[in-house]
Amino acid sequence: MASKFGLAGGIPERRVRPIWDAIDSRQFKNALKITTTLLSKHPNSPYALALKALILERMGKPDEALSVCLNAKELLYKNESLLMDDLTLSTLQIVFQRLDHLELATSCYEHACGKFPNNLELMIGLFNCYVREYSFVKQQQTAIKMYKLVGEERFLLWAVCSIQLQVLCGNGEEKLLLLAEGLLKKHVASHGLHEPEALIVYFSILEQQTKYADALDILGGKLGSLLMVEVDKLRIQGKLLARAGDYAAAANVYQKILELCGDDWEAFLHYIGCLFEDDSSWSCETINVSINPPKLVECKLAHLTDEVFDSCVENASAFVQKLQSETNNDSLRNPYLAHLEIERRKCLFRKNNDDGLIEALLQYYSRFGHLACFTSDIEAFLQVLSQEKKMEFLDKLMKNSNYLSAVPTKALGQSITLLKTQELIGNMFRLSVSELEGSAVQMVELYCKNLPLSMDLDPQESMHGEEMLSIVCNVLVQLFWRTRDLGYFIEAIMVLEFGLTIRRYTWQYKILLLHLYSYFGAISLAYERYKSLDVKNILMETVSHHILPQMLASPLWADLNNLLKDYLKFMDDHFRESADLTFLAFRHRNYSKVIEFVQFKERLQHSNQYLMARVEASILQLKQSADNIEEEESILESLKCGIDFVELSNEIGSKSLTFNEDFQSRPWWTPTTEINYLLGPFQGISYYPKENWAKERETSVRGIIERKSLLPRMIYLSIQSASVLYKDSIDTNDVVMGVSRGLKPYEVFGSDVIDWLNFAIFFNAWSFNSNEFGQREGKCTHVSWHLVNSLLENYILSKLRSMGPLIQSPQGDLPILVQVVTEPLAWHGVVIQSCVRSCVPSGKKKKKSGSTDQSLSLLSHAVRDAIQSLCSILEEIVRWSQDQIKSPEDNKIDILVSLKTNGQNGGGPGHVFHILETLASSPNEAELGNRISQALRAWSPVDVGRKIITGQSRVLSEFCRICESKIKSLKSLKQQIAQV
Amino acid sequence: MTTIRRFCCNDLLRFTSVNLDHLTETFNMSFYLTYLARWPDYFQVAEGPGKRIMGYIMGKVEGQGESWHGHVTAVTVAPEYRRQQLAKKLMNLLEEISDKIDKAYFVDLFVRASNTPAIKMYEKLGYIIYRRVLRYYSGEEDGLDMRKALSRDVEKKSVIPLKRPVTPDELEYD
Repeated sequence: MASKFGLAGGIPERRVRPIWDAIDSRQFKNALKITTTLLSKHPNSPYALALKALILERMGKPDEALSVCLNAKELLYKNESLLMDDLTLSTLQIVFQRLDHLELATSCYEHACGKFPNNLELMIGLFNCYVREYSFVKQQQTAIKMYKLVGEERFLLWAVCSIQLQVLCGNGEEKLLLLAEGLLKKHVASHGLHEPEALIVYFSILEQQTKYADALDILGGKLGSLLMVEVDKLRIQGKLLARAGDYAAAANVYQKILELCGDDWEAFLHYIGCLFEDDSSWSCETINVSINPPKLVECKLAHLTDEVFDSCVENASAFVQKLQSETNNDSLRNPYLAHLEIERRKCLFRKNNDDGLIEALLQYYSRFGHLACFTSDIEAFLQVLSQEKKMEFLDKLMKNSNYLSAVPTKALGQSITLLKTQELIGNMFRLSVSELEGSAVQMVELYCKNLPLSMDLDPQESMHGEEMLSIVCNVLVQLFWRTRDLGYFIEAIMVLEFGLTIRRYTWQYKILLLHLYSYFGAISLAYERYKSLDVKNILMETVSHHILPQMLASPLWADLNNLLKDYLKFMDDHFRESADLTFLAFRHRNYSKVIEFVQFKERLQHSNQYLMARVEASILQLKQSADNIEEEESILESLKCGIDFVELSNEIGSKSLTFNEDFQSRPWWTPTTEINYLLGPFQGISYYPKENWAKERETSVRGIIERKSLLPRMIYLSIQSASVLYKDSIDTNDVVMGVSRGLKPYEVFGSDVIDWLNFAIFFNAWSFNSNEFGQREGKCTHVSWHLVNSLLENYILSKLRSMGPLIQSPQGDLPILVQVVTEPLAWHGVVIQSCVRSCVPSGKKKKKSGSTDQSLSLLSHAVRDAIQSLCSILEEIVRWSQDQIKSPEDNKIDILVSLKTNGQNGGGPGHVFHILETLASSPNEAELGNRISQALRAWSPVDVGRKIITGQSRVLSEFCRICESKIKSLKSLKQQIAQV
Repeated sequence: MTTIRRFCCNDLLRFTSVNLDHLTETFNMSFYLTYLARWPDYFQVAEGPGKRIMGYIMGKVEGQGESWHGHVTAVTVAPEYRRQQLAKKLMNLLEEISDKIDKAYFVDLFVRASNTPAIKMYEKLGYIIYRRVLRYYSGEEDGLDMRKALSRDVEKKSVIPLKRPVTPDELEYD
C-alpha cells in the first residue's frame, strides 16, 4: 500500500507518507490524527477524505466511512478543475469495496473516464470495476475503447475474453463469438500475435464455433511457432484434427506424442479413440457436474465392421508392442495399460474376449502387482467383466499368491494388492463369517510380520503395509454388520487406534475412526479426529461431509458453530476476492485463466453444501436462542424474518447445484452422507459403482434445502401466529392427528419425522391464530395443543424407553432424540413463549376485555398443560442421560474390553486384538527399531476405552445442558402464566 | 501412465487425497489463484488412469539479472503413487520450463532442515545446499535453500554454497 505514492490531489508526498506508514502498522488512531490535521489544511481534498474513510473502515466504523466516502465522491463530481487521479479513485475503490458498495466505486470511475476520455490509467481502473461487478458487456466496451486508443494486443484480448464470458457465463448469444473472431482476425492481419495465451484464446473461440479447419490453418502457420513446447502444440493439433473428423491424421499426431512421452495415458486413449473413429472421448469433456469423472472410459465401436476393427487392433497392438520394447524404464506403466485397453475394447466389440482381458490383467499383475496403485489402475478394466468372470480372474490371481517376489517390500505390496482386489470385486461380502475372521487374522499377522521393514523409515514417511489395517477395519465392521456383535466393532476401533499409535499421521485411519466414533455416539471424539486432519481452505468444501451431517444432529453447538462459521467464511472470502484474482489474470495476460476463474467461482456459489450450510448456520442460531423469545426475534429480524430463505426455497428447484464433495475417501458402509448400511440389517452388497448415486442425491438434497430454508420463516410466522402457510393443508393435518392418536405407526413419517413434527407444531400455532380465541372453535384450539403435546411425548418417551445403555448400543436413537428436542420441541417452546407473552398483561398493554376473556383463559389453560408436558418430557431425558453419565467408568471400560475378548478361544471377536496385544506386550527392539518399539510400549487399549466413554459422556452432558436450560425457561413461564 | 498438464481450478476440488497428507500444505485460495494467474506454466498436475490426481508441482519464476530463477513452491505425490519417480518427473518439467522458455539461471527451493528424505531426493536430482536460512519455518525450524544451476549459468556461479547462514529478512524473495 505504501508504494502507491505520488502527488495525490495536490498533496505533497511527505505529508501523506506518515499516514500510510501508520495504516500499514495498524496504528489507526494515529493515522486518523494525522489525517485530521491534513484535512484542516486541505478540507476539500478528495484524496485526504478517501484516506480518512479508509482508516475509519479499518477501525470498524463502516457508517462513518461510507459518509466520508460519499463526501469525497461529491467533491470529485463537483470540482471541475480538480485533477482526477487514479490514486484517489483506487483508494476510494478499496473502501467502497470493503463496504460492499462496488457500484459507487464504479460510478466514480465512470465519471472520471467521462471527464478525461483518453486517460488509459483511469480506463484500466474502470475495466477493473466492471470485472469486480461481473459486468461482461461493459468490460468488453471499455476494453474496446482502450484498444482503439492505444492498439495494444492485450486490450483486444481483454475484449475477446469479455465476449467469451458473456457467452459462457452470462446470457450472451453464441453469435457474439463471431464478433470476437472478427476482431482477432483483423488484428492478426495487421499486427500478428505475440502471446501464446492469445493464440490459445483464439483457438478456443474457433473451437466453440466448431471451426476446426480454420484453427488448424492457424496452428500450421506462422502463429503456431508461438507455442514453444512441441508436445503442447501436438496435443492441440491432435484434438483439432479429431474434432474435425480427420481421425487418421489425428491418430498419427497422437502417435507422435506417445513417441515423445511414452507415459501419457490420456494421449493413448485419444490415439486409440482416433483409430476406432470414436469421438466419445471428446464429448465427455463438458461433463462438469461431479468432481470425480466416471471411471469407465466411454467408447463407441458399433459402427465398425469386423475387418476395420481387426485391422485397427492390429495397428494399435503393433504400436503398443513397439512402445513396450522401447521403454527401458521399469516403472513405465503406460504401454502395459495400453495393452489392457486394447483387450477391453475387444471385449466390448466381440463379447467373447473375456479370457484375453483376464490374461492381460494377470500379466499386468505380474509386472506391477506390488504397486499401491494397482487396483485403481485396473478398476476401469474390470468393469467390463461379468461378476462371474471377475471371480474367475480373482481365483487365478489368488493362485499367484504363492509366487511372491523375493524382495520383502514387493512381496508385501503384492499381498496387499491381492486383498484390495478382493475388496474391489466385492468378494469380501461373499465370504462366510468364519472365512472373514480368518482373513482378518491373517492380515494382522502379515502386518505384524512386516513391521520390521519400516524400522528405518522416517516417522513422517508412510509405512510399509499401512493400508492393511484399513482393510482389517473394513472386514471387522462387516463382521459387526452381519453378526451385530459389538465386539467386532470395538476391535475395529482398536486396530486403527493401534495403527495411529505407531504412526500418528495416517489420515486414512483417522477418517475411518471418525465414522466409527460417530456411529458409536462419541461424536465429540469423532470431531477430534476430524480436527486432527487439519482440514482447511478448499478442503473444507471437499472433505467436511465426513463430519458435518453428524454434527448437525449433535448437541455440540459450539463445535458445530465453528465448523459452519469457518466454512462459510472461507467461501464468502473467496467470492469477495475472486474478481480481484480474475483481474490479476487479465493483467498478467493469462487469458485462459480468466474464464476458468469466473467459472470456478460460479461452481462454488452453486455448491449444495454451501447453500445448506447457510441455512443450517441460521437454524443453529435459532436453536441456540430458542429459550429466549426476544433473542429469537432479533435473530429472525437479522434474517429478514426468513424471507430470503423462502426465496431460496422457491428457487432451489430450478437452480443448478454443484456437488463438490469428494466421496472417494468415505468408508464402504457409508458411501454417501445419506447412506449408512450399518443402520439397517445385513443384506450384503455387491460391487457398486459409486457414481450412480449422483442423481438420487441431487433430488434428495434439493428437497432438504427446500424444506430447511422454510424453517426460519415458519418460526417467524408461528411467533406472529400469522396464518399464511399451510392454510389448505388439511389432509396433512389428518395424518398428524392420526399419528398422534396412535392410529398410524410412526413409520408413516419415515425419515422425515423431524419435518412432520415441525409441521404439527407450526400448524398448531397457526390454528391458534386463525381461531382468534373464537368461541365456536375454542375447543379445536385445545385439541390441537393437546395433539402436539402427546405427539412429542409419545415419540420422545417411546424412543427413550427403547434405548439401551449407550455403551452397548452404538448409534441408536440419540441423534434423532437430540434433533427432536433441539428442533420441534424447541420451536414449540418458542410458540409457548409467544403465547405467554400475549396472555400475560405487560405494563403497556391493557388487559383484553369482553369475549376474549374466555378464549384467553382457554389458551392459558392449554399453554399451562403444554408447559407441564414439555417439562416432564425433558426431565425424563435428563434423568436418562445422567444415569448414563453416572454409571461408573471402570464398569463401562470392563464392558468394552470384555466385548472384544469374548471369543478368544472359539469364534467371535477378539482374535485380531489378541495378536496386536501380543506384539505390543513384548516388542523386539532389535527387529523393530527403537521408535516403533517405544510406540508399541505406549499402546494402551484401556486409554482408548476411556476416551470413548469420555466422548460419549461429553455428548450426553451437552444434551443434558440443553434440556436443563429449556426446563429452567419453561419453569419461569409457568410462574408467569400462573398469574393470568 | 501419467499425463502431465497445467493445473486448473477444478483440480483444487480433486486433490483431496494428495493434500490430506500431513506434509502437504493446503494454502488459501488467493495463493493458488495468484500462482495460476501469474505463472500457469509453473503449476502442473500429473493425472493417472481414471483421471486420478497423482501429484502436482507449483512454482514461479522471478528475480533480477543473474538471480532470475525458477522457484519450486511445492511438490507433492499421493501415497498411492510414491516410489515411482513422479516427483522427479515434475521437477524436471519445471526445470525445463525455467531453462528453455524463461531462460532462468537456476532453480531453487526451500526445505525443512529436518526433512532428510526430501533433502536426499533433491540431492539425487542435482540440487545443492546453497545456504541455511535460520528459523525460516514459523520462526522455529531452519530451512535449507537448495539450488540447481541451469544452462544459462555456464560457470555455475549461482550454486556456490554460502559460508554463513542467513536470516529470513536477508532473503531476496518471499
